[in-house]
Amino acid sequence: MSRFLLRRLIHGVVVVWGVVTVVFFLVRLTGDPAAFLVDQSATRDEIEHTRRLLGLDRPLAEQYVAFLLAAPRGDFGNSIRDKRPAMRLVLEHFWPATVELAVAAALLSTVLAVPLGVLSATHKDGVADHLSRLGSLLLQSMPGFWLGLLLILLFAVELRGLLPAYGFGTWRHLVLPAVALAAAPLAQNARLVRAGMLEALQQDFVRTARAKGVPERAVLYRHAFKNAAIPFITVTGLSLGFMLSGAIIIETVFAWPGLGRLIVQAVPGRDFPVIQAGVFVFALIFVALNLLVDLLYAVVDPRVRLS
Amino acid sequence: MRSARGVMSWWWMAALVVGFAAAMADAQTVDGVAVDAEAELVVAVPDDTNNMDPRIGMGSTRSAYIRQVFESLVDVDAQGKPVPGLALGWKPVGDLTWEFTLRRGVTFHNGEPFNADTVLFNLDRMFRRNLDRWGVKDVTAATSFEKVYPTVSRWEKSGDYTVRIHTSEPLPNLWDALGREPLVPREYTVKNGIEALNERPVGTGPWKMVAWKRSDSMRFERNESYWGSPSLFKRLRFQVIPEAGGRLAALRAGQVALVDAVPPLDAGVLGRESGIKVVSSPQKLYCRIYLNARPKDKFDSGGKDGLFGDPRVRLALNLAVNKEGIVQKIFHGYAQANASPVASVAYGYAAQEPYAYDVKRARALLAEAGWKDAGPDGVLRKDGETLTLQLLFPAKHYGQGFDETTPAVAEMLKAVGVQVVIKTIDYGGLLQTVTKGTLPYNGGFSACRTSNNLDADDYLRDWTAITLINWAPYPPELAELYRATRREVDPQKRLKLLADLQRRVRDWAPVVSLYQEVKIYAASARVLHFVPLTDLHMDFRGVALRKP
Repeated sequence: MSRFLLRRLIHGVVVVWGVVTVVFFLVRLTGDPAAFLVDQSATRDEIEHTRRLLGLDRPLAEQYVAFLLAAPRGDFGNSIRDKRPAMRLVLEHFWPATVELAVAAALLSTVLAVPLGVLSATHKDGVADHLSRLGSLLLQSMPGFWLGLLLILLFAVELRGLLPAYGFGTWRHLVLPAVALAAAPLAQNARLVRAGMLEALQQDFVRTARAKGVPERAVLYRHAFKNAAIPFITVTGLSLGFMLSGAIIIETVFAWPGLGRLIVQAVPGRDFPVIQAGVFVFALIFVALNLLVDLLYAVVDPRVRLS
Repeated sequence: MRSARGVMSWWWMAALVVGFAAAMADAQTVDGVAVDAEAELVVAVPDDTNNMDPRIGMGSTRSAYIRQVFESLVDVDAQGKPVPGLALGWKPVGDLTWEFTLRRGVTFHNGEPFNADTVLFNLDRMFRRNLDRWGVKDVTAATSFEKVYPTVSRWEKSGDYTVRIHTSEPLPNLWDALGREPLVPREYTVKNGIEALNERPVGTGPWKMVAWKRSDSMRFERNESYWGSPSLFKRLRFQVIPEAGGRLAALRAGQVALVDAVPPLDAGVLGRESGIKVVSSPQKLYCRIYLNARPKDKFDSGGKDGLFGDPRVRLALNLAVNKEGIVQKIFHGYAQANASPVASVAYGYAAQEPYAYDVKRARALLAEAGWKDAGPDGVLRKDGETLTLQLLFPAKHYGQGFDETTPAVAEMLKAVGVQVVIKTIDYGGLLQTVTKGTLPYNGGFSACRTSNNLDADDYLRDWTAITLINWAPYPPELAELYRATRREVDPQKRLKLLADLQRRVRDWAPVVSLYQEVKIYAASARVLHFVPLTDLHMDFRGVALRKP
């Protein structure tokens, strides 16, 4: 177990280094931000002066070495647009706004998906199954921004402020964006659980469990679902990773001050430090979640050994 | 020892005073309507500022925030006219000196007095002088004053409330060029560093910033010791709601009282809703197609001059664009066609004869310039070359109307025999192209420019030095006329020169003029006396909130 963790940790470091290195060079291929910071009536001289102030006139190799030396300390330099430490800016947007929204949406999409998927599988081709599949299809087909606007119109406008139309800070602010963000993963998860359960319910061990008189609920959740859970865990892990990386559309519709909007504004503005700090955090999230998913495999399926 | 009766009478008096004060507050009215002096006005804005230090830059988003807290020597009224701000007056003293008389008794939010030393410190920062002496860092600034106004030579105070600025050549628009820059406190900046101007800005303005949640909201409180008329409500919040639909939903739900940047399409619908007022004002944002008319030594040309060097071709392209159609069909009337190179709300603007939509005349002008042999595809040719415009189009940057306008214009130009190849590009990509000077010889780009200044000079300077947006440098006679406007200190004579230059630039047509923006706001009926400015920010002095 400890060897497994050590090996994965080393993998993780290599992955994070690789990702930030690729991004370091890629963002510089698209030009630099100096022209964003000056008036349109600026001359080349003025742009060059700005490049010097930003340190972008130094050789690329020198910039990269400085970046590699500082990044492990969490120092990605100051945001070019905001003039504040880039990592601080990223973390301010990550916690609590992004984490709050991602966790709420992930909880909604997993907690509801399991009973829905199980219900659908156990009532295959029945009314509940049809309704569940139709609901899943609808939720997956609806674009997030459209669903978000519909929810705002219904709960904030038509129902006269039952829930707020925008903003962040209380559980009431969280409801609509979490529902809008959870909709598509919920549908996807429900279909995944259904498919896994349909397969598991055909297996011999289920028949044996039922023959032994194991209560149906235990058959479904302790035996069949455990076997159907592996792909579900993989997808949920990835989906949580994407949510934690920011949900730009939902954040925009609900004016949620999360990481997605920050990064999306940083990219066209060529705000290198913020892009690099953001990508560093994303890479850490995905490495950590992948590790967690691997650990969960072993918990759910005793045949998986962490060695 | 006081008697119980004595204590009681003190209590009564205190209660009376408090009650009277409360009654007075309750009784506050504007035009006979009871207003709530303790209320909060929530304004839905599309974007957060990324900085509060005015020196970094005063683009439209930053201005909206910064000018609530910081003020400049020259203020602006609702019509865009200059009015006294932190300076009570300004005047030329001879040809080479301007004198600003400062307002007395003004303090920054932290109590630091505003005086001539404040102005001198700010001029040092603007012109990047004595930064080591003050111990403040240089910043990446949008405007390099020392490069744009190299003739400004020195500044001095003559008394605590008078500042003189000297120039090596006459600079008639100095009052605007330097006077519109918001001023920061000297002691506070020196003591806390320029980072403090961003984190905890301290100005002289009517609003104190009290909280800033990045990407979410900025909260302000009334500056009770403001030198001018105090604000008529207590708290102000700029709430960031990027999506226009979200901003309008929040207004309809009663969660915000004022919405900035209403899309033209929604304005008509909102105007018919009860309890909502729609107000608008022309802005300085001026959208154009810039054409490559640079000589070959002024860009990375591959040995060819810009294809659009002939003013007849550029004029023809102006006549081929149905500007009124764009204003009516795309902007639903919330834009202006303008044939002057200067925004209609700038000081010194002179209205020019509109570019009539005249396809026949456009074709005739192109023929006059030698573009007459249309091939089977209808594209004009001259000496084996086709009249092609490679148009860089920065989509998703200036808004929906702009995004609809560029392709529409491309179709209009095709109708007169111009082959338009639209290349959609992100705004950063466009900036890289114009910075490096790699626009194709037959290239152009659609873009908008705005101004933080009041004077026409800011627009007319566009075609002097080679800059990001100057792709049609003035010919010698226009360059000389421009220099004349910079030398003339007599206001009336200068206005005449400016009008003359605008007329000649209109005929010379350095760009294809598209439209000038009209900004739309929607307000709940609670908001009284909100008047949109022609400037980049909103002014809440005099605005009141009706009691619910």
